[in-house]
Amino acid sequence: MELIFIAVLIITAIASYFGRRIKVAQTLSVIAALVSFVCVSDIAIKVSNDGSYSPFKFIYVDSLGAIIMLIIATVGLAAIIYSIAYLGTELKKKIIDTKQIRLYFALVNLFLAAMYLAVSSSSPIFTWVCVEATTLSTALLISYYNKPSAMEAAWKYLIINSIGLLLGFFGTLLYFTVSQTVAAGEFITWQSLIANASSLNPVMTKVAFIFVLVGYGTKAGLAPMHTWIPDAHSKAPSPVSALLSGVLLNVAMYVIIRFKTVTDIIVGPDFASRLLVIFGAMSVVFAAIIIVNQLHYKRMMAYSSVENMGIIALGFGFGGIATVAAISHMIYHALIKSSLFFSSGNLMLKYSTGHIKLVKGVLKAAPVTGVLLLTSVLAITGMPPFGIFFSEFFTFTGGISQYPVVVVIVVVAIAILFIGFMRNTGSMLFGDKPSDIKTGEKNLWLIVPPAVMVLLALVLSFYMPPFIQTLIHNAAGQI
Amino acid sequence: MSIENLFFQLCASLLFLTVILLHIVKKNISEVLLYGVQSVAVVLLMGLSLFKVSSLSLMAVLVIMLVVKVILTPIFFTRIINQYKLKFTDSRYLSTPITMFVIALILLLVGSDVFRPLTEIAPDYKAYLTLVLAAMLISIFLITNRKSVVSQAVGVLSLENSIVMFAIFAGLEQSPLFQLGIIFDIFIWILLAVVFVSMIFRHFGTLDATNMKNLKG
Repeated sequence: MELIFIAVLIITAIASYFGRRIKVAQTLSVIAALVSFVCVSDIAIKVSNDGSYSPFKFIYVDSLGAIIMLIIATVGLAAIIYSIAYLGTELKKKIIDTKQIRLYFALVNLFLAAMYLAVSSSSPIFTWVCVEATTLSTALLISYYNKPSAMEAAWKYLIINSIGLLLGFFGTLLYFTVSQTVAAGEFITWQSLIANASSLNPVMTKVAFIFVLVGYGTKAGLAPMHTWIPDAHSKAPSPVSALLSGVLLNVAMYVIIRFKTVTDIIVGPDFASRLLVIFGAMSVVFAAIIIVNQLHYKRMMAYSSVENMGIIALGFGFGGIATVAAISHMIYHALIKSSLFFSSGNLMLKYSTGHIKLVKGVLKAAPVTGVLLLTSVLAITGMPPFGIFFSEFFTFTGGISQYPVVVVIVVVAIAILFIGFMRNTGSMLFGDKPSDIKTGEKNLWLIVPPAVMVLLALVLSFYMPPFIQTLIHNAAGQI
Repeated sequence: MSIENLFFQLCASLLFLTVILLHIVKKNISEVLLYGVQSVAVVLLMGLSLFKVSSLSLMAVLVIMLVVKVILTPIFFTRIINQYKLKFTDSRYLSTPITMFVIALILLLVGSDVFRPLTEIAPDYKAYLTLVLAAMLISIFLITNRKSVVSQAVGVLSLENSIVMFAIFAGLEQSPLFQLGIIFDIFIWILLAVVFVSMIFRHFGTLDATNMKNLKG
């Protein structure tokens, strides 16, 4: 019954597209996001109490799935609320028209529905279908502004992700080829893959995991398959960038982790863990090198997502306490990164440019946005007292004994990244604002969503509700 | 060699040869034709499987594949080529000799021990699986080596054909989930290709991906 919210999202998408008034699309989208939030919270509490949620054969939500669903619901609700004010301002500036707004809400609701289904599906192939479905809506959202650069970013996203997802599909099929249940034509679930693990060929499983890691790793933004991320994030509308970075990357990582669980049973934990450590470390180092000389603030934030997905991959690769840290990092990163992209949207509306050099005096021009941006940057770069500091600390603590060289390299990379981030952000925040930029915020609702995200991240850094704590510990135990 | 094996050999060879030829041909229309031929090979192979098991869902997949892959997609690309007068597609990053050298390296790799576990999934069809696996990797190389948006789209579709044929030889085509995945993939890709290829031409006045130079910084 709780899953009715997915139908609500799909109906909202259809109504948004075919309805004539944008108010209808906006109101329905907020209602759908609120209904989703309530239903997902209910499902998460059930999973926390019972260990899983499976109302029927095709649906299975485990602890990690429940956490990801909570992330989708929270960032999704904030993004919808922010989108109303953001697109409203763009409409006033005649950057977009009403038809585009209706299309936007239709696509965003479909995007959210596809992500919920990907996480709650009991079948690896259906999960793949849903992740593929996210490509449909996101490709159109990335090309939303209908400019040559947006079109280019969308095509790049489409080609890179299509190759990635087809390789992911191939990897999934390889797990199926050696599963005994295929012959009987049964419906293969994640659970049946685990139950049939003894029949899987270890060498084949290793090959299959490599394909899955490269395939879904492309969607998760792991280096060196991350090249679509900066282009897509910088060209998409800011709330979509928040959803891409804060939510979609986590969904793809979730799929990798589910396959890791199956792989670990067959070949032991070392194989998948080492691969995750390699890809994770590469992601952090690549991002650190590029962020230092970044010219565009949304691209800088996109590279920060590559870095953070790298840290999450490292956490899952290190195992033990680092797994708990990686799951916490997923939560904190989603909240802070969405706040960062919302703030970047405010800057885009204020300065009409994405270039770092052309944005000056944000603290004077838009003081609240400036403070939110500064706070979010401090949080994302791992400054205490934000949770990212603790999750990074425990990730590296968990890995230092097994992978000391990797930890040292990654810590140095993070230090470089911090310098790059602070230098770029500092040049935007301080100094005098350009004379043609008016002082003041554009709209209260452009401030509330990022403020709530930062506040929520701060609260969760000190107090994690018991049911989320249970989910994190259960999820870590299952991986 | 039985007739069935000859048929398998014909289908796998057709797929492999068309992928190689996709690297060589200079006309867009030839690319589309080659894609149509390899799609026919995949559909024929799926048809043989249907002949053996008489599954209703498999028949539905076969019909969809026939209509979309063999008929609609080539028609769509032909229309685009005629509409925008995109006769030639002789634009690739590597020259033909170097392209052939890379293909030879891919073949060496597929024949090595690295991919042995994959080709031994179905020991009776080892040779065909090797060919199909090579076609997969050569398709990925096609996407990266070609500058034309049409060629890149055909490359992705060719990769998809190779994966479908691999699954058939591995005996997975009867899985309803596999069928669902394939139908969905066909649907998504054709839809996006229709939308984006036209939009890219309208924005850039060409389908040469190297003219897309707006993303810097």
